[in-house]
Amino acid sequence: MAGAADGGGSMLSLRGVCKRFGELEVLRGVDLEVKKGEVVCVLGPSGSGKSTLLRCVNLLEPPEEGDIHLEERSICRGPGSGTGEQSWELDFVRQRVGIVFQQFNLFPHKSALENVTLAQEKVLGRSGTEARSKGSELLERVGLGDKLNEYPERLSGGQQQRVAIARALAMDPHVLLFDEVTSALDPELVKEVLDVMRELAEEGMTMIVVTHELGFAREVADRVVFMDGGVIVEEGPPAEVLENPREERTKQFLGLVLDR
Amino acid sequence: MEEFLKQFFDVGFMVDHFDEVLDGFWITIQLSVISGVLALIWGLILATLRQLPGKALMPVRFFTIAYIDVFRGVPLLLLILIIAGGIPALEFLPESLRLPEWFGKPDNFWFGVLAITITYGAYMAEVYRSGIESVPGGQMEAARSLGMSHGQAMRSVILPQAVRKVIAPLLNDFIALTKDTTLVSVIALNEVVLVGSDIQSETFNSSALTLGALLFLALTLPLARLVDKLISREQSRFTRGAPRVEAL
Repeated sequence: MAGAADGGGSMLSLRGVCKRFGELEVLRGVDLEVKKGEVVCVLGPSGSGKSTLLRCVNLLEPPEEGDIHLEERSICRGPGSGTGEQSWELDFVRQRVGIVFQQFNLFPHKSALENVTLAQEKVLGRSGTEARSKGSELLERVGLGDKLNEYPERLSGGQQQRVAIARALAMDPHVLLFDEVTSALDPELVKEVLDVMRELAEEGMTMIVVTHELGFAREVADRVVFMDGGVIVEEGPPAEVLENPREERTKQFLGLVLDR
Repeated sequence: MEEFLKQFFDVGFMVDHFDEVLDGFWITIQLSVISGVLALIWGLILATLRQLPGKALMPVRFFTIAYIDVFRGVPLLLLILIIAGGIPALEFLPESLRLPEWFGKPDNFWFGVLAITITYGAYMAEVYRSGIESVPGGQMEAARSLGMSHGQAMRSVILPQAVRKVIAPLLNDFIALTKDTTLVSVIALNEVVLVGSDIQSETFNSSALTLGALLFLALTLPLARLVDKLISREQSRFTRGAPRVEAL
């Protein structure tokens, strides 16, 4: 997979991003570059700030300090930034950045297809027919063509997560964030979700993947980032970081994870 | 014993006065349905205003909370008297508002509707709020991350789930509201209690009031059973979803 990102311009650029929750410093100056078409896997122990990093990027938790550029445009400096209120950058970001959550967060009162069509109609102004055709195409693609009218409570975790991926894709995002999307799944359901993500990566989608799946990172990522204590400790090609880490903390963590 | 039955359960007496009492009860039902629907709508508006995001809308949230606190804390009877005695005296209001006689109903009917809507809107806003707060935060995040505005997310994602969860408690409030419509008798609206009480003072027989009580039970008991049914349906929905461990 390495090489897929060659020649891509900058998709995301983080500079000195800091995030606090009260006294707790979750991110303490994170710098990260992501090129168009690149797949970056973020590893690290729980509490290292991985999820918060993703939530900063799509402004669910706007950072207090530092700046983030999305497609070379600053998304943390406009009016209303940091308040969670509507502003130009919020629209700019949400139109380009999709996120898939650990807990799926499907809308339980909507069928699989309606989950995928709702925002298309409300946000992008697509007609019902257009949204449904796009929605069923995407659900087909994630292997759920026969579950269009099922409600989330009747789907397995893996199926729910694939609906959530289709829902994010329906908005034609330029970059997709994955927040530990297989951590809440039974082991036998993990593969079906990772397979979908692998296909997306092969098609050239820009992805930032917070995960504990080292196999996936090794195989799919262009670059692996290891975080601990709210900073990036080490980054590089998967072969380097995973097989031959330079930093002591990375070694410890990988040792722990592999021992499991 | 015979005297007891004659005082409270004189069937012949009830039959003689049935039409009068039923007319009163019809007013009670109209008052309940109109105020009930308005309170349901007003409560939802209040609950939505209370959840508006951002610093700029702080005053709106503040006044909404103040409203809810005040009108949950003031007795409905007192409010009825204030409104019915006060509004007609406000000379600057046009006569159609000072003495509203809309749709062929007397002004005291509309004063009752107003007082009940104000009070029960506040109660129901709190019920809606509990429903809104029971929807997991991830739902709002998912909707917002798809680009929906706060308003769109509320309308299409949060409120449909919230309202479904609170239908039973809202119906409970509606039952309470139905019974509280009797307080409007204090401003001479000829609903079931005033009718029964007039008959009682003329005849020294309470059976017309007992009849009114029976009519109330005919209305509220089925509603109470319906609430039970809705609650058990909601619980079975929950337990059906619960064994899906990987979804938790």
